[in-house]
Amino acid sequence: MKKILTLTLATALSICSVQADSTLVIKGSDTLGAKLVPQLAEAYKASHPGVSFSIAAEGSTTGIAAIIDGTADIGMASRRAFDTEVSAAGANGRTLKPTIVAYDGIAVIVNSANSVSALNKKQIEGIFTGTIKDWSEVGGKPGAISIYTRNTSSGTYSDFAKMAMGGNNYAETAQKMAGNEEIASEVGKNSAGVGYVGMAYLNASGVKSVAVNGVKPTISTVQNHSYPLSRSTFYYTNGPATGEAASFLAFTISPAGQKIVQAVGFAPLK
Amino acid sequence: MSEPTHIRRVDQRPLREAISTRGRSIIPGLTKDDLIKYFFGGNAWISMVVLGLIMLSLFSQSIGLNPFAGFFGQDYRNQLAYRQSGLEFVDIIKKQAADLDDLGQYLSAARLQELKRLLAQGKNQGKTEDQSLADANAVLAPFDEYAGKLSGFGDGLGDIISNLGDTAKSTKTALKTLEDRKAEKQLYLSVGKKDLADKVTYQEVDLVAAVQPLKAALPSIHDASAKLASDLTNFIAQPPPSVDENMKDHLAGFNSRAQALITAIPDYQKQLDNWDPTVPLPWYAGVTDFFFNIKWQTASSWQNYYGIWPLLIGSMLISIVALAIAVPLGVGAGVYINQIATPWEQNLVKPAIEFISAIPSVVLGFFGVAVLGESLRQLSRWGFLPEFSERLNVMTAGVLLAFMAVPTIFTLTEDAINNVPRSFKEASYALGANRLQTIWRIILPAALSGVISAVLLGFGRVIGETMVVLLCAGNRIAIPPMSDGLMILFQPVHTMTGIIAQELGEAENGSIEWRALFMVGLLLFLISLVINFMAQRVVQKYKISIG
Repeated sequence: MKKILTLTLATALSICSVQADSTLVIKGSDTLGAKLVPQLAEAYKASHPGVSFSIAAEGSTTGIAAIIDGTADIGMASRRAFDTEVSAAGANGRTLKPTIVAYDGIAVIVNSANSVSALNKKQIEGIFTGTIKDWSEVGGKPGAISIYTRNTSSGTYSDFAKMAMGGNNYAETAQKMAGNEEIASEVGKNSAGVGYVGMAYLNASGVKSVAVNGVKPTISTVQNHSYPLSRSTFYYTNGPATGEAASFLAFTISPAGQKIVQAVGFAPLK
Repeated sequence: MSEPTHIRRVDQRPLREAISTRGRSIIPGLTKDDLIKYFFGGNAWISMVVLGLIMLSLFSQSIGLNPFAGFFGQDYRNQLAYRQSGLEFVDIIKKQAADLDDLGQYLSAARLQELKRLLAQGKNQGKTEDQSLADANAVLAPFDEYAGKLSGFGDGLGDIISNLGDTAKSTKTALKTLEDRKAEKQLYLSVGKKDLADKVTYQEVDLVAAVQPLKAALPSIHDASAKLASDLTNFIAQPPPSVDENMKDHLAGFNSRAQALITAIPDYQKQLDNWDPTVPLPWYAGVTDFFFNIKWQTASSWQNYYGIWPLLIGSMLISIVALAIAVPLGVGAGVYINQIATPWEQNLVKPAIEFISAIPSVVLGFFGVAVLGESLRQLSRWGFLPEFSERLNVMTAGVLLAFMAVPTIFTLTEDAINNVPRSFKEASYALGANRLQTIWRIILPAALSGVISAVLLGFGRVIGETMVVLLCAGNRIAIPPMSDGLMILFQPVHTMTGIIAQELGEAENGSIEWRALFMVGLLLFLISLVINFMAQRVVQKYKISIG
């Protein structure tokens, strides 16, 4: 819904500003495109009147595919491109160039009524792979654990499996939610729920993050990679960015842009 | 016999021609008549053409015009890589470790039961919740120490699994890279970039050398298994010192399970000894994976499976719930409005029910997430429904879909009843039947074929619905355990429509996931086709002739 909303909003905005000189088309990751990039776009428009944005956040794969097909100026991604995508771009006469724009910590969240506030990686692996089935096994009150994950083709889904679950498979009982917000809202309403979201979603009501191996996900722990579940997020462009895209990219990694990165809940580049 | 009157016409052409070709044609060679005919005919046929194109694209994206490059071919290679890389071999060892995990979970379940009993005891003694939890954990400490030892028994096997797993995974990656490279070269050649194609080089994977480390590990696996067996034997010989009666029962159950595992170990060993990566896969491996596998597992770093059953069962369960609610409501409302209701009621209720179909499904979906799911859970807390934990489940989605199917079933039922000849009703009254007898014995049976087709079309409406199930079904890709009986109606499921909507946007174009999703779409299309066909046949075959 949120995506459709974003699209509609973007379309509406672009219709409103008919006298806009240029439109920047940005597609890709839900993690980046839901909050961060729209806010960066707003700030950018303030200093660059006449530029309009069309932002669609439907997952990292769509962002990279849009660069391969040449249907977007910038592709947002929470993962690096696969080899097959790099070669597909080459066949279309394009090159995929990634630029790191922010760091993101994947926070493990539980309901705020849950007495568990710290888990080690082994326990997280056990919970998400389904060998630990009850909260009493990790020191909480008895209650069957409900697992909420992203949908399987999401970049966060495979990143989390790699970083937190030793590459093992998710438990079959895991429920696949469409996005970070859906996970946060389900965990917020289910006292036995557990899930993971980007750090930007931690202030959702009724949820709290747990410390992983004793480290809480904060901007500084993500920046220095002491939080075990940290990752980079990217803008993909066709070769080095040019024109308006280059200037938006420069704005994103400039101090002003990184301030917004931090305000939205990501960790800025050092 | 008078002479036929002869009408003199100014236009000397034959009558038929004179009517049909008034005015000159715009396009030479085509009369205006022809143009009108082609216009209407074209409109009728264009839908056929579009339908054909949709079927063709569904088919080419799923099974593929060249089946070797399509889903079945890709899945065949996916499974072949699983065998050739030795993941299959490691999975046999994993199965052994999983059995050990099951034992551990049996103990955890026993502990949970004990914990709950102790907590209840604590509550009766008037302790606070935190206090009784702490006390209970203290009481269970010796048991925890005992059970904790169990997890260490798998360490030997765990190390082997992780080492061999890495080896097998890297072989699989090499096989995948090889396939990608070949595809890349093909791609470059197909767009005519020969210079780039020449730059792509690849090396065939030496499969014999690749599985060598696995075979070489056989003795150490044997040792680890033997150690596991002896550890387990010792473990059950020394139960924890202080256990009460309930726990003793649990431990007895545990012992018999542990014994079963110990006796199963040699079988695993035999399987490992006999494993051969060169045993060919049957050509239909992809087909059986899709139609008979009970697992749908994608984006796994180990092995992906594309069995349709979890999704099919999810869709079916939701449809059954929806129809169980919608059929009585829709048919009942149709009969009432057509036969019993006053004109005033008809004018009010009929448009209202038909209006339901105007509600966008995404709005209903939001209603399900925000209101219905939580309300159903509240009802279960108050004891009106059996206890369940997930608010997004089969029931939530089914109830909403029932609401959406009611207008379809209602309208078609009413039409069917309208089509029952008036003479039937009058004859029934003439024989002295009252109104209810007439409805029940005459009108409903006479309209039955129409009602059945109404139900079938309602089913088609339900199984194809996407937004509501995506938002409200809970999206758990697993077949609900049938041992739960009717409680499966309160468990989350994923559906065929839901998975396409959720995953297709992010699936890599042309990848096996992408094609698997199109396979699901193709199956869904066929199901709808069959339902509609059946609905038409039922009406035609059992139509009651008038008079």
